[in-house]
Amino acid sequence: MPNWNRLQTNSFLECSARDRAVGLVDEGSFVELGGPFDRLVSPHLVALGEAVENDDGIVTGVGRIGARPVFVISQEGRFIGGSVGEVGGAKMVGIIDMAIDFNDRLVAEFPDLPPSARPLVAISFETGGVRLHEANAGLLAHAEVMDALQRARHKVPVVALIGSRIGCFGGMGFVAAATDAIVMSEFGRLGLTGPEVIEQEMGKDEFDASNRALVYRTTGGRHKYVMGDANFLVDDTVAAFRAQLADLCALPVSSFEAMRRIGSPELVEKQLRGVALAAELKPSDARDVWRHAGNNDPVGLADGPLADFRKSVRRLAL
Amino acid sequence: MKTEQRWDKLAADTRQRLEAASAYIGAGKRVKAEDTVALLKAVIRSGDRVNIEGNNQKQADFLADCLNKVDPAEIHDLHMVQSCVPLASHLDMFERGIAKKLDFAFGGPQAGRVAKFIREGKIQLGAIHTYLELFGRYFLDLTPRVSLICAYEADREGNLYTGFNTEDTPVIVEATKFRQGIVIAQVNKIVDKLPRVDIPADWVDAVVESPKPFFIEPLFTRDPGLVTDNHILLGMLALKGIYAEYKVKRINHGIGFLTSAIELILPTYGAELGLKGEVCTHMVLNPHPTMIPAIEDGWVDTIHCFGGELGMEDYVKARSDIFFTGPDGSLRSNRAFAQTAGHYALDMFIGGTLQIDEWGNSSTATANRVSGFGGAPNMGCDAKGRRHATESWLKCGQEVPHMADQIGAMPRGKRLVVQGAETFGEGRAPTFVEKLDAWQLAENAGLDLPPVMIYGDDVTHIVTEEGVAYLNRAPDMATRMAAIRAAAGYTEVGLKADPAETRRLRDANIFKTPEDLGIDRNRANRDLLAARSMRDLVDISGGLYNPPARFRNW
Repeated sequence: MPNWNRLQTNSFLECSARDRAVGLVDEGSFVELGGPFDRLVSPHLVALGEAVENDDGIVTGVGRIGARPVFVISQEGRFIGGSVGEVGGAKMVGIIDMAIDFNDRLVAEFPDLPPSARPLVAISFETGGVRLHEANAGLLAHAEVMDALQRARHKVPVVALIGSRIGCFGGMGFVAAATDAIVMSEFGRLGLTGPEVIEQEMGKDEFDASNRALVYRTTGGRHKYVMGDANFLVDDTVAAFRAQLADLCALPVSSFEAMRRIGSPELVEKQLRGVALAAELKPSDARDVWRHAGNNDPVGLADGPLADFRKSVRRLAL
Repeated sequence: MKTEQRWDKLAADTRQRLEAASAYIGAGKRVKAEDTVALLKAVIRSGDRVNIEGNNQKQADFLADCLNKVDPAEIHDLHMVQSCVPLASHLDMFERGIAKKLDFAFGGPQAGRVAKFIREGKIQLGAIHTYLELFGRYFLDLTPRVSLICAYEADREGNLYTGFNTEDTPVIVEATKFRQGIVIAQVNKIVDKLPRVDIPADWVDAVVESPKPFFIEPLFTRDPGLVTDNHILLGMLALKGIYAEYKVKRINHGIGFLTSAIELILPTYGAELGLKGEVCTHMVLNPHPTMIPAIEDGWVDTIHCFGGELGMEDYVKARSDIFFTGPDGSLRSNRAFAQTAGHYALDMFIGGTLQIDEWGNSSTATANRVSGFGGAPNMGCDAKGRRHATESWLKCGQEVPHMADQIGAMPRGKRLVVQGAETFGEGRAPTFVEKLDAWQLAENAGLDLPPVMIYGDDVTHIVTEEGVAYLNRAPDMATRMAAIRAAAGYTEVGLKADPAETRRLRDANIFKTPEDLGIDRNRANRDLLAARSMRDLVDISGGLYNPPARFRNW
């Protein structure tokens, strides 16, 4: 077991899935469920003669933050790019359903239980989306996770944490969008189609995936914060992600509705206003949108320390 | 009887060539970009020795492209004498027959084509040099007749500003112009007033404003995010086993991740060892971004640079106590002087390598690439002409048991030359080999000698994850080879190590494991890095470091 106190100062970006899972909840409280000793390996990879991992690249378990039971899902980018297949997806669904079930039972038994003692789900994303080896089974897994998120709605808040190397792309980009709140670091990336795929399909002139600055100002945490796709932008330490998660743990599930980006007729209207703005503004670069949001020096703002950014940034109002 | 002998034929020839070009050269020596090919046709003759400026950083790329556009029927058999041939155009002119012979120092990305062209007879190879060696020959038997150089700006008179990336320009211009040669410069911009004059106008014959800025490669930028725990272990071994042991103050760091790791753990592990002010106070190196934490922490007194490094302009400008800067405030790099300092004034060279053989010869050559040497051998050798003493140089010399075989009882120091590498490198290729690929390359490309980066008798220390081999302490070749085997881990060479012999070497302090040095392997992780990302480097620099786009993850 990693040293919890040392984990806190570690870079979130560099942490393994298990270190993130352990470090996000209170010291010594994390219990892994469906861990490597249960040998939940992907049958598809076995059939293809590929190497497997005994946790299928996803750490699942439960811990506490204060009195609140926190059900944790943490994806490992170093195993096939954090891709989600049948088993990994089932683990995600299993833990979300476990949180919902536990919530239902708690509330039935203790109707006066304060919100800060009711279950919450935290998902630390590090994934390029569906595991191509598993084809439809992998896609189905994504749909099942989305479905589980719908079941959790209004009962158990689901918080996305994005700040790992691979970022959060592909179908899992949709899944993250469907959570109640998104916490990112400036190194986190969130999107649907990954930079390399855009370049491959549309050419280098459309999107140069080797231009990391371009990639980050299109998909990275600062941009997602300006756009309102991310609710919170935190420093790149386990402690900072944990602190933000702990703040959210104090809130009742009803408070999370205001943080959602999708999932209501009003939010659909808002998204449509965003589409109209894009048509009108015809931005050629993320900087154009930053400027439109009221940031006069988008280059300086992107380059400055994160603390300054948080202080002075204007977020897009739609 | 005295015969009439003309002694100014070179100058007369130059005048004649410039007259032929006069139609294209306007006020302030200015030549229109579209006239450049015609200009080159007018001043270059078949068989000329021609230099195209370019090293592993800045490139006179527009002039190289223009030279490629001349008709090989008119201009052919040029003898290219130049530091590097990293651009496709450098090799295209051999393909097209414009150039025939090549004397150079470094191949870079075109190394594969260089080998192929030599084999196919498209390149007649003069020699592969080190930078200083080649610069030396510019003033002896390889003086360019025409040099195509590269600068940031020119003014209306033709004075040049080479600024941050001055690099090879002064040595090329000096050799060419003062032997009646012709100097043509491409510049990014023509301005009214230069920040400073690096090359005076009367050393320059023509100035072309290039349609786009010259190509420059950020070759010395290492992302701290890619430093591995193993690099850090090697860095800890080097710091404790060598830097601290010899108190080495005057150092060149190579380009790889090992030295980046060392730079990044100076303010942490180095401080813990009490080395601040004791090591790394005087450095010859490019402005490595990974040096920022150590500089900010007050480790370094002086850095002189071979060349610039993209993104470090403002940082260097704001740290003129450390770097050599001009009256305008910007860096003055100068490869010839930095290499001279590197050859004579350093106490230690430390860098990575691709292969080391059983005797300790070290090479970066592969069987099918003529990559050349660049500057490493100038620093990775014991400068025989050195006469001043320092503590570390004396100590390293005193430890050499067989010095008396050469010079009797006379004491003498020795440069520390450290090769650091993991026992298996990229693609799990073994670092320690029975026979260097350099032999195969010599055969494939018809070279006189296998190209060896650093000869075994110059290598004083080898650092691998197995430990530190103190080769300077080995009394004979048999012991030296045993120490290399001890460092060679699970490679074919390392598997031949005899544990009993390795034990004897450890007792004799000729080989030390991390444990012998009191280094806890478990501490070798990224927590030790003073900066763990490019972003950290920017923040530690107070926002002065401005990394190129491809290194930014924000």
